[in-house]
Amino acid sequence: MPHRLRSALTSQADGVPRRTCALASCVPGSRATVVNIACAPDEGCRLRALGLYEGSCLHVVDSRHCMLVDVRGTRLALGNALTSGITVQLERLPG
Amino acid sequence: MTTLRPSHSARRAEGSSGGPADAAEPALRVAIIGNPNTGKTTLFNALTGLRQRVGNFAGVTVERVEGTFRSPDGRRVAVLDLPGSYSLSAGAPDEKIALEVLLGRDPDRWRPDVIVVVADAAHLERNLFLASQVFELGIPVVLALNQFDRAEAEGYRIDVPEMIHQLGVFVVPTVANRGEGLEPLKRAIELAPGQTPPGRRFLLPPAVAEALEPLTAALVAAGLGPAPAAMEALRLLGVDQVESHLAGVPDLPATRGRTRAAVERAGFVPERLESDLRYTWIADVIGRAVTRTAPLGRDASHRIDGFVLHRYLGPLIFILLMALVFQSVFTWAQPLIEGIEIAIGATGEAAGRLLPEGDLRSLVVDGVFGGVGSVLVFLPQIAILFGFSGLLEQSGYMARAAFLMDRVMRKVGLHGKSFIPMLSGYACAVPGIMATRTIEDPKDRLATIMVVPLMSCSARLPVYTLLIGAFVPAITVWGGIGLQGLTMLAMYLLGTLAALAAAWVFKRTLLKGPVRPMILELPPYRWPSLRSLWVSIAQRCFLFLRRAGTVILALSVVLWALATYPRVAADPSLPEAAQQEQQLASSALGQIGHAIEPVVRPLGYDWKIGVSIAASFAAREVFVSTMGTIYGVGGSGDDVPALGARLREERDPRTGAPVYTPLVAVGLMVFYVFALMCISTTAVTVREAGGGRIGWQWAGFQFAYMLVLAYGAAWVVYHGGRALGFGGGT
Repeated sequence: MPHRLRSALTSQADGVPRRTCALASCVPGSRATVVNIACAPDEGCRLRALGLYEGSCLHVVDSRHCMLVDVRGTRLALGNALTSGITVQLERLPG
Repeated sequence: MTTLRPSHSARRAEGSSGGPADAAEPALRVAIIGNPNTGKTTLFNALTGLRQRVGNFAGVTVERVEGTFRSPDGRRVAVLDLPGSYSLSAGAPDEKIALEVLLGRDPDRWRPDVIVVVADAAHLERNLFLASQVFELGIPVVLALNQFDRAEAEGYRIDVPEMIHQLGVFVVPTVANRGEGLEPLKRAIELAPGQTPPGRRFLLPPAVAEALEPLTAALVAAGLGPAPAAMEALRLLGVDQVESHLAGVPDLPATRGRTRAAVERAGFVPERLESDLRYTWIADVIGRAVTRTAPLGRDASHRIDGFVLHRYLGPLIFILLMALVFQSVFTWAQPLIEGIEIAIGATGEAAGRLLPEGDLRSLVVDGVFGGVGSVLVFLPQIAILFGFSGLLEQSGYMARAAFLMDRVMRKVGLHGKSFIPMLSGYACAVPGIMATRTIEDPKDRLATIMVVPLMSCSARLPVYTLLIGAFVPAITVWGGIGLQGLTMLAMYLLGTLAALAAAWVFKRTLLKGPVRPMILELPPYRWPSLRSLWVSIAQRCFLFLRRAGTVILALSVVLWALATYPRVAADPSLPEAAQQEQQLASSALGQIGHAIEPVVRPLGYDWKIGVSIAASFAAREVFVSTMGTIYGVGGSGDDVPALGARLREERDPRTGAPVYTPLVAVGLMVFYVFALMCISTTAVTVREAGGGRIGWQWAGFQFAYMLVLAYGAAWVVYHGGRALGFGGGT
């Protein structure tokens, strides 16, 4: 399991699974549910209109200078500043 | 009480009262709206049979197109194709256009009687978000489930009668690119005005409904209808800025602030309330009306993205694609160019034989055929360039290019989305500048507008082709790619790098501001429609021909007259060519050229180049037609050699040295890479940069900075080249 994802999943203190993290910290192949969108209102409004809203499921396809995610068949490219403000609950790990 | 400005339809009704009925008035007005990439424009074209008015180089919008069709009962129906929108929140200028039209707040457009919402049948959840907002505008709606075949191929089974029951509107499956479902759609449009507008399809929690009342009332009091006011009140909870169409609502920010506080007290999050309510309702509708038989898996688009967006392969594919475009512009077009050259030459010769020796013959042969003909030969190259541009746009690759370029664009202070207008600018700066409407941040948008004309457009092609063809040897240098194609690619790269550098400067000085994060949909790949591609190429060729037949023809005639008069008594002892040269130098054009010469001499240019540059300030192609006119006039009568060959032969009368050396040619191309010589681009910049005084100031600044860049770069090339021993010109 990639280190970045492992640390996102497990708290350092007690080893109890910590299920939420920033979307920016997810590695390609992860599946997650959006828990919270904390960004400028206009950007949040646009994301929600594009189908990325609190409760929607997404699949991380790629993460480099910006992130590629699939949301119900729609592929979105999201800037890193944005993905840092989106909290997700991890559902499935890559591989 | 402040009232929002009256709708256009209301003003039209006032204006026509008492007057005779306008026979051209349509019986029904329809607006088409939908998410981007849903086949909305394909449906519009299929409905209207391509009789729509499209934007042209004068700067009429290309994103709000109007056409007509006949309904099944024979009535004339006007259709307005609105820009693609994900929601009715006017985050970007293109979405603002759609919102203002639908609310009847666009002074230049009518308010529709029926709205057709085009939804991608394979992505209904997201598409129904916009549809649910449109339902609340108080206007009858028809929902076109487009790309229905693709949805079925992906395993979706849509129960259309159940959808109709759930949504309360006509629902028509369509496959616009095959013309399927058009007749039922037309019938539904015809019947829709008799239907009750669908309205809100879900109930608000009572506490929310109560909290929204003051805001809704304020909007109604300001002139909005009750239904749109209710839609706007819910929408305004989630947006940051109040859009311009609501600027007249008194005390709106404060009322909205109180409403948000009330919603929060009721236990809801204002920012996400609208999406929570709509998506909950949408999930219920889809649960009842849609089933999916095939499992979710990697589709073809995702597999292609595996290569196209690959970390290393992706940029390589991008560069190879660009190289292919520029190489093909040169090689594929060559046989067609030669064919047109032969046809123009033969026609000019035939016309010359029919006319008596004298000024009229000179005007027709040298002025018209020499001037306009020298530009017309570039038609095949322009068609190929627009063909490739259309292929990239229609296939879905443009968004991928924006994703690939995001890292580069971010370094200059913009994000990947700004690269799409820049890429469009390769074909023409006008649609490129128009495409900046999708950029939300005003400073990012303005910075993009400022640099788009640095991308080498099709109007520069004639200049590049003429000079490359004349001075760059047609040899293969690397991997089967010709030196001429590579030189062309270098010019395009130079323009692109200059655009990026200029954006970097603007974003750190005049248009300083944070970089907004990118939000961009990568649409599924699609086979380009040959029909749409053909129409796009034909329209562009028509515009080019119209320009050749109007602006360039008029300028060619004027330049011919300037080059012919006043007549001087030439020294009969001189050879004929020298007599003609003497006449040209003494003509009005020659005198103007000699006046300009001190300005262009530091760049290594003679007066003929100077006057050709001066003549091309309105349109770059005029440089070539002016050269054609000058060398047609200065040449040897009917047997005008190819312009490129004439340039190579041209000698300085004082020194006998060649006027056009490869160094001068490169300097000249570099000048045209940077110079903004296009009146249409200036006109569209004025409008898109804010219009009025502000727009003119930005357009003037754009023209000036590009001219300074052009002159400076050409000077550096010429003097740098000489210092390095590449030889000078005159």
